[in-house]
Amino acid sequence: MSYLGYPDFFEPYIKKVEQNRPARVDKRRKGEEFPFMSLEERQEILKHHPDYKEEGKREIKVGPNKGYRIAHEFVDLLEAKSKVDPDKVDLTRADYGTDVLVIGGGGAATIAALIAEENGAQVIVATKLRHGDANTMMAEGGIQAASKGEKDSPYYHYLDVMGGGHFKNDPEIVATFVKQAPDALRWLENLGVMFSKFPDGRLDAMHGGGTCRKRMHYCADLSGLEIMRTVRDEARNRANIKVLEFSPAVELILNEYGQCAGALLYNMETEEYIVVRAKAVVLATGGAGRLHIQGFITTNHYGATADGIVLGYRAGVPLAFMHTVQYHPTGVIFPEQIEGWLITERFRSEGADILNVHGEKFVNEREPRDVESARFIKECLDGKGVPTPTGKVGIWLDSPMLDILHGEGRVRTAFVGKWKVYNRLGIDISKAPMLVYPTLHYQNGGLKDDDECKTTVPGLYVAGEVTGGLHGENRLMGNSLMDIVVFGRIAGKNAAIFAREKAKEGKLTLEHVKRYHKELEEAGIITDRVAPMLLPDYTRPEVKEKQLTASYLGTWR
Amino acid sequence: MSLAYYPGCTLKTKARNLEEPGIASLEVLGFKLEEIPRWNCCGAVYSLAEDDLIHQVAPIRNLIRVKEQGKDKLATLCAFCFNTLKRANLLMRENAEKRNTLNSFMDEEIDYGGEVKVVHLLEVLRDEIGWEVLAQKVKLPLRELKIAPYYGCTLLRPREIAIDSVENPTILREFLEALGASPVDFPESTRCCGSYQIISNPDDISEYARDILNSALSHGAEALVLTCPLCDYNLGRGQKELIKKHNEFKEMPLFYFTQLLALALGLDSQVCHFELNYGSPESLLREKDLLS
Amino acid sequence: MSVKEENKNPAETAVKEKKQVAAKLIPVYIMGKRYEVPEGLTIMKAMEYAGYKFVRGCGCRGGTCGACGTVYRKPGDYKLQVALACQKTVEPDMYMAQIPFFPVNRAQYEFADLTSAPEEVFKLYPELFRCVACNACTKACPQGVEVMDAIAALKQGNIAEAARLSFDCIQCGLCASRCFGELAQYHMIQLARRIYGAKILPRAEHLAEMVGTINEGRYDQILEELKHVKEDELKKLYQEREAEPMVAGEDWKPKDTRYL
Repeated sequence: MSYLGYPDFFEPYIKKVEQNRPARVDKRRKGEEFPFMSLEERQEILKHHPDYKEEGKREIKVGPNKGYRIAHEFVDLLEAKSKVDPDKVDLTRADYGTDVLVIGGGGAATIAALIAEENGAQVIVATKLRHGDANTMMAEGGIQAASKGEKDSPYYHYLDVMGGGHFKNDPEIVATFVKQAPDALRWLENLGVMFSKFPDGRLDAMHGGGTCRKRMHYCADLSGLEIMRTVRDEARNRANIKVLEFSPAVELILNEYGQCAGALLYNMETEEYIVVRAKAVVLATGGAGRLHIQGFITTNHYGATADGIVLGYRAGVPLAFMHTVQYHPTGVIFPEQIEGWLITERFRSEGADILNVHGEKFVNEREPRDVESARFIKECLDGKGVPTPTGKVGIWLDSPMLDILHGEGRVRTAFVGKWKVYNRLGIDISKAPMLVYPTLHYQNGGLKDDDECKTTVPGLYVAGEVTGGLHGENRLMGNSLMDIVVFGRIAGKNAAIFAREKAKEGKLTLEHVKRYHKELEEAGIITDRVAPMLLPDYTRPEVKEKQLTASYLGTWR
Repeated sequence: MSLAYYPGCTLKTKARNLEEPGIASLEVLGFKLEEIPRWNCCGAVYSLAEDDLIHQVAPIRNLIRVKEQGKDKLATLCAFCFNTLKRANLLMRENAEKRNTLNSFMDEEIDYGGEVKVVHLLEVLRDEIGWEVLAQKVKLPLRELKIAPYYGCTLLRPREIAIDSVENPTILREFLEALGASPVDFPESTRCCGSYQIISNPDDISEYARDILNSALSHGAEALVLTCPLCDYNLGRGQKELIKKHNEFKEMPLFYFTQLLALALGLDSQVCHFELNYGSPESLLREKDLLS
Repeated sequence: MSVKEENKNPAETAVKEKKQVAAKLIPVYIMGKRYEVPEGLTIMKAMEYAGYKFVRGCGCRGGTCGACGTVYRKPGDYKLQVALACQKTVEPDMYMAQIPFFPVNRAQYEFADLTSAPEEVFKLYPELFRCVACNACTKACPQGVEVMDAIAALKQGNIAEAARLSFDCIQCGLCASRCFGELAQYHMIQLARRIYGAKILPRAEHLAEMVGTINEGRYDQILEELKHVKEDELKKLYQEREAEPMVAGEDWKPKDTRYL
C-alpha cells in the first residue's frame, strides 16, 4: 500500500503539499519570494546549528592549536598515536623516489598531479581507495565562476564567498580564488568536460545559496562525476604520473632540513608500510564526513576520515576554521535505503519549495547552507517536521514544482541521476516530493595555508577540502568544485617548482612524530587511539564479540 | 511518404557522398527517409558459417527496430548493408530453429520472424516511383554522359535476395536511361570488385580493378556508376598507382547512383560531396556542361 | 570516544541506532556462502552486517563512483543481474559477488592533438569493430546506460551521440566484464565525451573573454581594495549588492556596472 510510492503513512502529509502547490507555483511565477533573513536573524537561527553546540566540542591539548575548541571527533583523532612506531620504520631505504608525491585520489589531488607533471615533475599519486573514489565524484550541484562579464565579475564572487563564510575567510585566498576561477573553468573546458550549455556555447548557469549572480555552472546533475572522470582520464594519459591505489599515507616524512620529503604509505592489502621519498608533497586528502560528527549521517565517501588533518597537524601545520562543519540542508531522511544521500541544492535553485509538515514555506530556500540547515533543525525542534514511520523527522523538498515551472519532464532530464535512483525505489520525484534533513557534508576548515597553497612546512602544499581559509566558516555551493581546480593547479605548480629549485637532499626523519607522541604524553593523554583512521568501522559489536582472535588497531582489524 | 531507412556506418563517415544526395533526392521525389532509431552496424559481411549465429544478431536487431516502430519496410542505400540485412531477414523468416535460438538470445527484444521487407533504394525508384515518373522529374538530363553500370555482387547474389535478374540485370541501365544518360553495357558489370580481399591482397585487387575499369573503358564508358562503398574503395583507391604503373591506364571517375540522381533532379551539387569521390568526377561533369 | 551518546538531538539520527532492531532476517549468499541479514539493507550494508570490512568494492556509498559493481542471481532465474552494492536492496536468496576490478585495454593519447574526426576513435580503439551487438553491455549497466547504442554511435562516427548516450556512465567496468568482443566500452565513451566537450560543443566565448579581461588586470585594483575593507564595511557592501532575480533570463543586466 503506498501513496505515490511512499508508504500510506505519508499520504495525509503529501496531500497537504499538493493542496497548496498551485498557489505556490503561482507565487514563484510572479517572482514572489519568501523573505531572506537579515544578518541578525541569521545569527539567531545559527544557534540551532550543530557547530554552535558547545557540548559537541572540546579543547585540543597538543600541537600548534593547543586550546582550540573543535568537534570531539576531530580531537579524538588529533589526540591519538601514529599507526606505527616511528623507530620501526627504515627510512634509509626508500621504496619509491619521485619529484612530487601527491597524497589523495580525488579532484584536487589529480589536478595537482596533472599540473606538477606539466611543470616537469615525476609524480606519484598515493590514494586510499581507487583513483577517483572521492567526494569530488559525488558533487552534483555545480561549479562557480564569474564567467559572464556583462553581469558578473570576481568582485561579486568575492562578496558572495565572504558573506557565506561569515566574513571570516582569508581575504588573500578568496581574492586569488575568484580571480583564477574563470581560467580554471576554461581549463576544464579544454580537457573536454561536458558543461551544460546553450546551443551557441554559452554556459548554463544558475543561482546557488548565497549567490547574487547566476554563476553556478554545471554538467547536468553529475558535475563532480564529469569533472573527476575527465581529469582522471587525463592523468591516465600521462606516463610520468604513477598512481598507487589502496595505499594511503599514514605519516608525512620530513628531512633533516625540516622540509617535507615524502610520506609513509600503508598498503592496505598486503599490510606493508612503504617509504616514498619526494622532493615536494601535495596533501589533498579531502574531508571528514565518515567521522559522523555529533552522530550525523553523511553524504561523504567511505574514505572521508580526516587523514590529512592528522598528518599535517603532526608535522606542525596549524588548523584554521576547524570549529565549523558544513551540514548540507537536504540529505535524504526517507526512504532509508538512501538515507544521508545528497539532494543537490539545484532543486532549490530551480525553484522547488521547502515545506514543513503543514505544507507551509518557512524559509527562503537559498539562504547559505549553514543558515538553511539550522532553520530546518529549528523547524523540526518546534514540532513542525514531517514524521517518518521509522521515528525520524524531515522537511519536504517539493520537486514536482519544477515540472510545472519549467515544463513536463524537467525533473527527469535535469536531475536524471536522482530521478533514476528514486525510481528504482518506486518513487517518481516529478510527482512526489522528497523528504530531507541536514546531513554532514563538508569540512569547512582544515590545514592552514596561503593563496600559494604553502603551509608552515617547506615543501608541503595543500589543496581542496583538507585546507581551511577559503570558505571561512561556511562554504557556498559550487565553491568546492572550483576550490579543487583553482588550488589543485596552484599546489601542483608550486610543488613542482619547489622540487626543482628548493628541495634539498637530506636524511629522512620521523622525529616530528616522536615529538608529537611525547607531547601527548606530557599533556597527560593516555590512549590507545591511533590515527589516521583510514576507514570507518561499521562492524557490529555482535560480530566483534565473536572475533576472538582478532585484534583491532583503531578501526583496523 | 515516409520510409524507414537504414544508413549504415560507412555512409555516416566515408560515404556521405552516397547518403546525402540520396536523402535529398528522395525528398524531391516525395519520400522522406526516416533513419531508424538506435541502429547498429549491419554486421558488414553476412556470415556464411551455418552455426555462427552471433553475427546475425546485429542485423536482426536493426530489423527489430523497424518492427518496433510499426513499420513493415526498410530501405537501404548501401548495397552491402542491403545484402546483410536482407539475408538475415530471410534466415529469420525461413529457419524456425535458428529463429527461436536468436529470439531467445535476444530476450530483451520483441520476437521477430522476418516480418519487415528489406529493399534497396533502387527498388524504391523502380517499383514505387517508376522510371517514367522519375524521367519526368529530371531537370538536368545527363545527356552525353556515357556511364557503365557496375553492380558488383551484393545487390544480386545470392539469388534469393537479388533485386534484379542475376545474370542480366537491367535496373541500373533503366535508372541511367531515366536520368537521360547513355548507359554503356560491359561484360564485367556483375563481376566482384574483390571485396574484403583488399585487406590481405591489396596489390592483387588493384590489378583486378584494372581489368574491370579497362573493360568499361574499352566499351566506351567515361565513368562508372556504383551502389556500394566497398566497390568504390576497391575500384577507386588504386587508380593513381595504376596510372604510374601502366602507361595505358586511364583514370575512370566513379559515381554513386545517388549523386547522378541528385544532379539530374537539379539539386545543388554541394549535396553530392564530389570532394569525397576518387578521381575527378567534377571535371568530367564540367566537360559535359552538367556542372558549373 | 563516548561523547556522541551525551548530546542527542531528537531529530538527529545516530549512526549506531540504525535499524538493527527487530528487522526481519532474510538469507543471502555472499559469494555462495549463506548469511542472514535484515531485509531493507543495501547489499553493501548487508555485507557489513555479515561481518565484512571493505577495502575494495566500496567507494562513495552514494551510487556515483562505480567501485561496488556487483553481479547476482536470484533462484530459478537464468538471468544474471547487476547492481551497485551501495544502491541495491538485498532480496531473499540472492547469490552475489562483487567485481571490484576488471582488467581492460585503455589507449593512451595526447588529447590536445586529437580532432573530432570519427577516425580518431577508430585508430585508438580498433577493437570497436569487434562489437557484434550482443547487448550484454547494456544489460550489465547498473546505471541504465544504453551502452550498446553508444558503441554503435561510435562505429557510425557519431561521437556526439555516443557522448550524450553515455553521460551517466560511472565507469564501474561491468560492461567490459561481460563483453563478447572484449571491448573496454567505458574508456571508449570517455574518449567520446572528452572530444565532444572540447572539440564538438561550441566553446563558451564569454568565458574566454572574462579570462582575457582578468589577465589584463581589470579587477586587480578592485580586489586589492576589497581585501582590505573592514568587516563592517564589507557587510554593508554584501547586503547592498544587487541580486539577479531567480526568474531572470539570460539577458538580465545589473544596474550597477562599476565592478563589472
